[in-house]
Amino acid sequence: MEGLNEEGQWIVLMGLLVAVAMFFLALIVNQSALVGQTTAEGVLEFPKNDIRDLRTEIFDCVDEFGDTVDADVKKDIVVISLERKNAVVDFSVDPEVEISGGRWLHPVKIHYNNGVTVYDETVYY
Amino acid sequence: MVNDTGQLYTMEGVAAGLIMLLTAYIVISTTSVYTPGDTHITDMQLEQLGSDVLAMMDTPDTETGVSDLEVFVDHNNATGFEATFLDYCNATTGGAVDSLHMSATIYYQDGDEVKEYLFVPADDSWTGRESAVRATRWVQLDERSRGPPLDDRARAVLVEVLIWRD
Amino acid sequence: MNGDDGLLSLDFLAGFTIFMVALVVVVSMVPGLLVGLQSSGIDYDAVAYRTGVILVEDPGWPVHPPWELYDVYHKDEIERMGLAVSRDTPNILLSTKIEKFFNGSADGSGFFDYPDDYRRRVLFGDYPYVCNISMSILGGPTYMVGDARPQGYGYIRRVVKVKEPSSAIIQDNDLYRAAVPSNRTQFTVRLNCSELLDPSISPAYRIDPRIERISVKIANFSYYLNSSPYATLKNVRFHKNYATGSLPFPYTSISPEKYRFQIDGVDTTLTPNAHVNSTLYLMLQPASLPIDPNSVIDIVFTFEEPAPDPPRTTISGLHLYDYNATNVTRPDLTFGVLEVAVW
Repeated sequence: MEGLNEEGQWIVLMGLLVAVAMFFLALIVNQSALVGQTTAEGVLEFPKNDIRDLRTEIFDCVDEFGDTVDADVKKDIVVISLERKNAVVDFSVDPEVEISGGRWLHPVKIHYNNGVTVYDETVYY
Repeated sequence: MVNDTGQLYTMEGVAAGLIMLLTAYIVISTTSVYTPGDTHITDMQLEQLGSDVLAMMDTPDTETGVSDLEVFVDHNNATGFEATFLDYCNATTGGAVDSLHMSATIYYQDGDEVKEYLFVPADDSWTGRESAVRATRWVQLDERSRGPPLDDRARAVLVEVLIWRD
Repeated sequence: MNGDDGLLSLDFLAGFTIFMVALVVVVSMVPGLLVGLQSSGIDYDAVAYRTGVILVEDPGWPVHPPWELYDVYHKDEIERMGLAVSRDTPNILLSTKIEKFFNGSADGSGFFDYPDDYRRRVLFGDYPYVCNISMSILGGPTYMVGDARPQGYGYIRRVVKVKEPSSAIIQDNDLYRAAVPSNRTQFTVRLNCSELLDPSISPAYRIDPRIERISVKIANFSYYLNSSPYATLKNVRFHKNYATGSLPFPYTSISPEKYRFQIDGVDTTLTPNAHVNSTLYLMLQPASLPIDPNSVIDIVFTFEEPAPDPPRTTISGLHLYDYNATNVTRPDLTFGVLEVAVW
């Protein structure tokens, strides 16, 4: 191995450096692409407006029927949610109970699951 | 005193420079990747606007009042619905009017089936190629004699609006 | 065997250093380069969306007392500026909050300084965003804060309804005419806060004197004159929880941040001792009186004629400032649109 000298080693070193630099650049590119996708998709996929709408609708039902929500109306909500919103929805309204401040309110249990987001709530209305 | 011993180093330098330029070029050119992201953003803006408009139409102006949306659906007033929706949707603070269009369908339950009827048909700007977004709102209808297809019982119906930009 | 084959030569060291420095500079420039390219379409839109959500769906922070009532000395305590009436009523905005929010300018003439206060309290983020936020209310004013929009900016538009403050207009009401007028007479407007702040009334329609203006107008005062061209209003006083003593208040000075009082359209103090011909108008700014959820506030107008004079007004009685539509007018929610542009 007499004829071999080590002067070319820095080329290997350079190659390594360039590789590391490219790795970091790739990382940056990758992340910046994610920013755009996730912001819009995060907003689009999280069904904030759907859940708010469902709550308002259920509260409208409570306003109209009290704790004996009309079975047909409940079925409307459950069936149409499944068909059009791909969401499993269930809710129940219990008789009024006294809460702090001496007010009598219905405990309303709401369940929502569209496969991505699961939402459960017990709200006094 | 000219020799060629340094040539290899020069070529390596040129190669390294090329690699860096290539990297920079790739980085900049990847901005085209954002195009799908951009359409997502417009979808998000439109969907939010549509939900806002429906929610505001469903908010009564007075404590004891009935919301516009409920009245329009209950009395099958498609013209009123379309006019109010587009008014709200296209309003800007600068006074200019945006160019959004809409169509609306109402979904209701009959028997065990979910049925639908076209509430507001699409106008001429609809070609089927638009990237339309969907906004929905529940409407609670009281028991009242209103005839088919929603007949008389109290029911919950889903108003689904398609919105697109001209 | 002590050759120098494994050592780096000096000129290689110099060249390598220059190369490394150049590489570091390029690498550190690239992310900045990207910010410029990506954000017009993506990051700015996300920030605009977030700003829109904060403005439209959040009442801001602090809530008690609400941020819009902070004066210029306590401005730093405001953490977030949201315009919603409450967190349960998204898209329903309070006019008081809107007025305060848009009271900002770059030259320091407004309450807030643009852009610093807006960056810290509504835009957030490390990047120094620039914005243009505008709002127009149907049949009402158009507000705007920020710079002119350049090419390429993040944008969101939100549709809202605006809640305006209530007012009591007392006009030609026989209930408040005493059959036997006296030389000294009192007319009271009563705010029963436990009734007004009843939690069963949605915040979107509630009369809340802690966050909204209260105004009382006696239009056509001549209806209550006792065959005389005028009556003498001695003073207006505020009483809490039926106490005989009046609440501490700047009764003898004009202070627009607390109240506005007009006799026949002319601004005056609450101790006018002056003649009234046609109208009385009193507007109390939000939270100018120490109100808690159980207090009862009486606004007492005292009319008194000097001793030999005959009684000049027949007005007397008690007017309730409550949810009865004949007593108090609550304006309908009005449609509005809010636009946020960020770049």
